[in-house]
Amino acid sequence: MIDLEFDEQQVLLQQSARTFFASECPLSRVRELEHSELGYSPDLWKKMAALDWAGLSLPKTQGGAGGSLLDLYVLYLELGRALVPSPHLGSSVIAAETLARAGSAAQQRCLSQIASGDLIVSPALMEAEGDYGAEAVQLAAAPTAAGGHRLDGAKLLVPYAHVADQLLVLARTGPAPDATTLFLVEAEKKGVDIEGLDNTAGYPLFAVRFDAVELSADAVVGAEGAGWETLKPALDRASVLQCAEIVGAGEAVLEMAIDYAKQREQFGQAIGKFQAVQYLCSDIAIDLHLSSLLARQAAWRVDEGLPHQVELALANAQASEAAQRMVRQAHEVFAGHGFMLETDLQLYTRRAKYWQYNLGEARYHFEAAVDAL
Amino acid sequence: MQIRFTPEQESWRQEVRDFLDAELPPEMAFDVEFDEDEALWEFSADFTRKVGAKGWLGLNWPTEYGGLGRPPIDRMIMSEEFAHREAPLSGSIGWGLTAGCLLAGGSDEQKAHWLPQLGRMDLHVAEGLSEPGAGSDLASLKTTARRDGDDWLIDGQKTYTTWGTHAEWLLTAARSEPNSSRHHGITMFLVPYDLPGVSMSPMPNLGGGMQNHTFLDQVRVPAEYMIGEEGGGWNMIMNAFYGGGIHAAHSYYERSFREVLKHCKQSSRGGRPLIEDPLVRQQLGRLALMVEQMRMLTYASVSNHNNQKAPEFGGALGVVVGKEMRPEFFEICQEIVGPLGQLKAGHFSPLGGQVEAWYRHSFANHAGGTSQVKRMVLATRGLGLPR
Repeated sequence: MIDLEFDEQQVLLQQSARTFFASECPLSRVRELEHSELGYSPDLWKKMAALDWAGLSLPKTQGGAGGSLLDLYVLYLELGRALVPSPHLGSSVIAAETLARAGSAAQQRCLSQIASGDLIVSPALMEAEGDYGAEAVQLAAAPTAAGGHRLDGAKLLVPYAHVADQLLVLARTGPAPDATTLFLVEAEKKGVDIEGLDNTAGYPLFAVRFDAVELSADAVVGAEGAGWETLKPALDRASVLQCAEIVGAGEAVLEMAIDYAKQREQFGQAIGKFQAVQYLCSDIAIDLHLSSLLARQAAWRVDEGLPHQVELALANAQASEAAQRMVRQAHEVFAGHGFMLETDLQLYTRRAKYWQYNLGEARYHFEAAVDAL
Repeated sequence: MQIRFTPEQESWRQEVRDFLDAELPPEMAFDVEFDEDEALWEFSADFTRKVGAKGWLGLNWPTEYGGLGRPPIDRMIMSEEFAHREAPLSGSIGWGLTAGCLLAGGSDEQKAHWLPQLGRMDLHVAEGLSEPGAGSDLASLKTTARRDGDDWLIDGQKTYTTWGTHAEWLLTAARSEPNSSRHHGITMFLVPYDLPGVSMSPMPNLGGGMQNHTFLDQVRVPAEYMIGEEGGGWNMIMNAFYGGGIHAAHSYYERSFREVLKHCKQSSRGGRPLIEDPLVRQQLGRLALMVEQMRMLTYASVSNHNNQKAPEFGGALGVVVGKEMRPEFFEICQEIVGPLGQLKAGHFSPLGGQVEAWYRHSFANHAGGTSQVKRMVLATRGLGLPR
């Protein structure tokens, strides 16, 4: 049976998410939030949590709703369409799913608070080399006499670090390329210093410095030396959700471009009548549709526990490149008008840059695909 | 959401594989579209008749017309397996396009008469739609069909006639209503090549195959060779093009990808295996992505059919992607293999000269209309942009 449609519940979830964000987070609100002190709305985040969305994929026994990746997928379509700024991907997916699967009993105690939206955990992965993956991790976790570790180094592009209660930090614990260990670190801890990073998307991204931060032995998440492996399943899942976010945003961009091409007249006719403009719009549709097909397949394979490394990597490579290409073609349709900040397209243009690199750019995923072939 | 083959579908796949194991020695695999070797052609015709004898050429057709009435996904599975072996299935203008036309608009009597013969590959049909002045704009065709007693007199010129050299019948679209224009007044005929007034001049193509100009000089065609209704030709052609069986184009690309991947694992450049070259790995990743894109487009067709859902984007998106991908895909294969990829089959040619042939074949991506035309369909019918 080949059936690429969402099931009834997923369709309903998507519909209610679309309605919810249309009223709670229209693009005018997205603009306001970008320039607000926190860069997101704690109030909106609480409302999302109240709808069970902050713990959607967590097991019911841990305060979650026990949803599948495809359930989350449809939610992310709408998060992308509405460009909702929220700590969901880092906290509710990467951190919460990692802790639910590999965390100690003590570490798992925060899960119900993540699900209720009362606690935020931010993953801190990338460093100055700007590469994704265990090999690029330099932040040192040296053993201490007390049996714990001491962190020294810096993480970059950490989302929502300014409101995070805890940080999920990947640090180097040995010379082998993949010798990393994952730590759960209180953000308030002595020696942790946070600095905002101005960026294209206006997204809440931070540099987090660790200056001789002393951790006790119980800060380790999963097995020591297996940090990347501990994190990988949740990163994979998060990457598929980001594909969904790109697809949702792409739908919005395509709709905008079509509307504009129909209504804008030059040379005495709607510009959408020109084949050159039709080409641009069809380029967006093609990228959008292919991204959607590949991402749905990846999500389904993950849910089914089937081998998925190749399909997942290719879905990411496709979506990462599509994010860029779709807005670029839309700018060709909007021309000068699209360059003005008053046009909503630029909100997508800027967010696309974040998506393009977050959780690995196309280069990384092509490499991962060939590695798995 | 699911992508799963049922046990019945898996055993069907195995049945197809067993058939290919028995009937297709690997050295007889070839691309029927581009190889004019007579011995291979004879083999291909025999092979295709064996497929027909199993009922598989008309796998999806209704049983009353010699078909097996099987669902489209079975045709796709068969197509996947045939593509993986490069099975030389010839005559698709007959059991594919002509049958598609008949199923779309033929009378019961016509279907009962022609389909069983087409399904057995008793008739070898060539394509006689395009004209020198009517390519992507097929509706501008000028060949005329004029009633004369019980017969039709057909006059005009067809071009690109694929398989004209091997066929006995020409699937002909002609304007039967005087002074009609565009898609009105077009009627379809099966014209026997041996009628007086039919002649050909061959046009070898870049792929190594043979197409033809076909001249129809006042050819007297008995009325029984008209198919569909008088004036109903356009509708038949469109529905045959869009409603034909689901073809597993991804397997065609997948086969090439596997060959190139194998080559990269076995060959060295600059003192290391090709597969370890970071640039080559990126290119391989891009090829793998294209295969996956094609696969999912095929699966989307199956899914839409199962859900009785109209195809997305006016049904044109997958066609555009397929057409535009082909030269790009094989150019990347060329880039990976490097300078020796330009060598035809011989002692020094990598992959037995296949990369060289693929490059030339890849420009045959305009059959059924150019990607530009399909993009216009995508933009207007699919996206609602103004005409």
